[in-house]
Amino acid sequence: MLSIKNLTASVEEKTILKGLNLEVKPGEVHAIMGPNGAGKSTLGYVLSGREGYEVESGGAELNGKDLLDMDIEERAREGLFLAFQYPVEIPGVSNMEFMKESVNAIREQRGEEPLSAAEFLKKAKEACKQVHLPLDFLKRGVNEGFSGGEKKRNEIMQMILLQPTLCILDESDSGLDIDALQVVAEGVNSQRSEDRSFIVVTHYQRLLDYIKPDFVHILADGKIVKSGDASLALEVESEGYAFLNKVEATA
Amino acid sequence: MSQWLDQVIEQAANLPAEGWLAQQRHMSLAKLKNRRWPSRKTEAWRYTSLSPIEKRQPLTETSDTATVAVPNINGLDCIDLVFSQGQLVSELSSVCLPEGVRVFSLNSADARELADGRFTAIKPERHLFGLINDSLIEAGVVIHIAEGVKVKQPIRIVNVTSGHADNHSRLLVSVAQRASAVIIEHGEGVDDSMNTAFSEFDIAAEASLEHYRFALFTDSALHAGGSHFRLADSSYLNSTILGFGSKLSRLDVDVEYTGENANADINAMYLLAEGENFDFQSCIEHAVPHCTTDEKVRGIVGDKAKANFNGRIHIHRHAQKTLAELNNRNLLLSRGGQINTKPELEIYADDVKCAHGATIAEIEERALYYLLSRGISRSQALIMLNFGFIQELINEINNEAIREWMTELLRTRFARMEVK
Repeated sequence: MLSIKNLTASVEEKTILKGLNLEVKPGEVHAIMGPNGAGKSTLGYVLSGREGYEVESGGAELNGKDLLDMDIEERAREGLFLAFQYPVEIPGVSNMEFMKESVNAIREQRGEEPLSAAEFLKKAKEACKQVHLPLDFLKRGVNEGFSGGEKKRNEIMQMILLQPTLCILDESDSGLDIDALQVVAEGVNSQRSEDRSFIVVTHYQRLLDYIKPDFVHILADGKIVKSGDASLALEVESEGYAFLNKVEATA
Repeated sequence: MSQWLDQVIEQAANLPAEGWLAQQRHMSLAKLKNRRWPSRKTEAWRYTSLSPIEKRQPLTETSDTATVAVPNINGLDCIDLVFSQGQLVSELSSVCLPEGVRVFSLNSADARELADGRFTAIKPERHLFGLINDSLIEAGVVIHIAEGVKVKQPIRIVNVTSGHADNHSRLLVSVAQRASAVIIEHGEGVDDSMNTAFSEFDIAAEASLEHYRFALFTDSALHAGGSHFRLADSSYLNSTILGFGSKLSRLDVDVEYTGENANADINAMYLLAEGENFDFQSCIEHAVPHCTTDEKVRGIVGDKAKANFNGRIHIHRHAQKTLAELNNRNLLLSRGGQINTKPELEIYADDVKCAHGATIAEIEERALYYLLSRGISRSQALIMLNFGFIQELINEINNEAIREWMTELLRTRFARMEVK
């Protein structure tokens, strides 16, 4: 599915990722935790191809294809989906128009016919229901005036509609109360399958109570410094990231 | 000096001298004679060349008006009053009007009473083409909405020009106390006729007006027009303006507050391609306290088109507690396009809140990235974002039929424009 090898990347000439390695197999859920500034969000941006995020060395393959060589939209069409931590507001472009264009662009890539307006609307309504978003959110400008929680749910709604193969959730839990957190987690869990993988980036263990990861990785200073199973997240929760110093000392 | 203006003056002097309207023409003509033809140094015409009409022969021949194609707005149930070539072609007597609405021909005796203190009094004298229109005007309509009457059905004044002849039309609307109305000024033309169309709106205390002006002159059309508003106590104006561009297309909007607690929301859009020109100028006079203006102007300019916007807000010394906001945002799609924008705030009161801004921008990187990250192609994403910019104002339109018609109209026009 996803294979990241020795990835080094910089933003504004500052190196953020410093030789990151990660293997994600189909159906797996990987959690990436780490202190602020470790490079968690940068990883998502680099993989999705955001401008200004320069890959210096190393590589990343998605389903055997060189991900870093593709344009942003090609990566999405290959099945990569990034749920943003801070989704941007785009007044004037409706959520509906946005998603319809998007769904059909991805269908085209898969060699499928575009959805008619009615077919699309049916799917969009179902996706909205699943994340408890009122239907009139489809008519509103993309994320325009949405609360923090509504923006996060809108991201999950998009994920459900687009049916990606690799989903990266960038702090999809931040700023959510417990009810909203459950809605987001249920949305994600409903999409778990044998051929779909997830990278769940989070600062807190809380989300992982609801989305059970197969692996937990600790990202610090641009590298994965420790990997383990779900119990590693609990360890972090009780001890904080203080153990990182120990890791570095022994390294 | 302009040969055309000389002939306009001569033509005006030869118009019939009978009737109240002739007296009005005569007074304006006297003023017009003292006016100079604008040069490139004249601030109001700095970015728009009048050369297409300078040496023009004013033709007055009336062509066949029987074949007017009235532009259709799907699903809009409105009362149409139609001008063609400066002639009122609607039989006013046969128009079915809602209770409390009166419509007269401008040169009728009935119109005179309503025109008193309004006609040529609301429109500022500084507009040269306004004075020209005053001096030559023969055809126009006067609309009166009686006190307390709320008219939901829109009244549309259609002004279709074709052929080469000069033509002029005029509108005067008075909305009496606590009354409300929806008025649409719809102008279209492609031929090289020179058209002037000016309108004055008197909005009485607690009255409200939903106003639209579509200046859809394209290709060779030559147009200069204006909509001028006077707002009394606690009255409300909501105006939506749409401009296309042509060889010469100029629109002036003036709002004067004469009573306190009045509000105006003005949304203007222009979408220009090829070698089109559109010049939009607004002037808001806050002469009294406690009034609010919110003016948003959005433009998209492609190819070698040229847009000019001048937005003035003048807050007089006693106009305390004024809230005024003026925002002009533009998107330039090509290197050859040109946008001149100038917000002008003149504030003489000290307890006011004012904001203005003008930007000429390219697409925001974050928004583009967001669309791309969902698999949408770059070219499609640019179209969506560029158009979304204007769609925002379309979404604020109250009337659903107009909203849908305008979305379609602008989408079609936008689709023809090249996005880099």
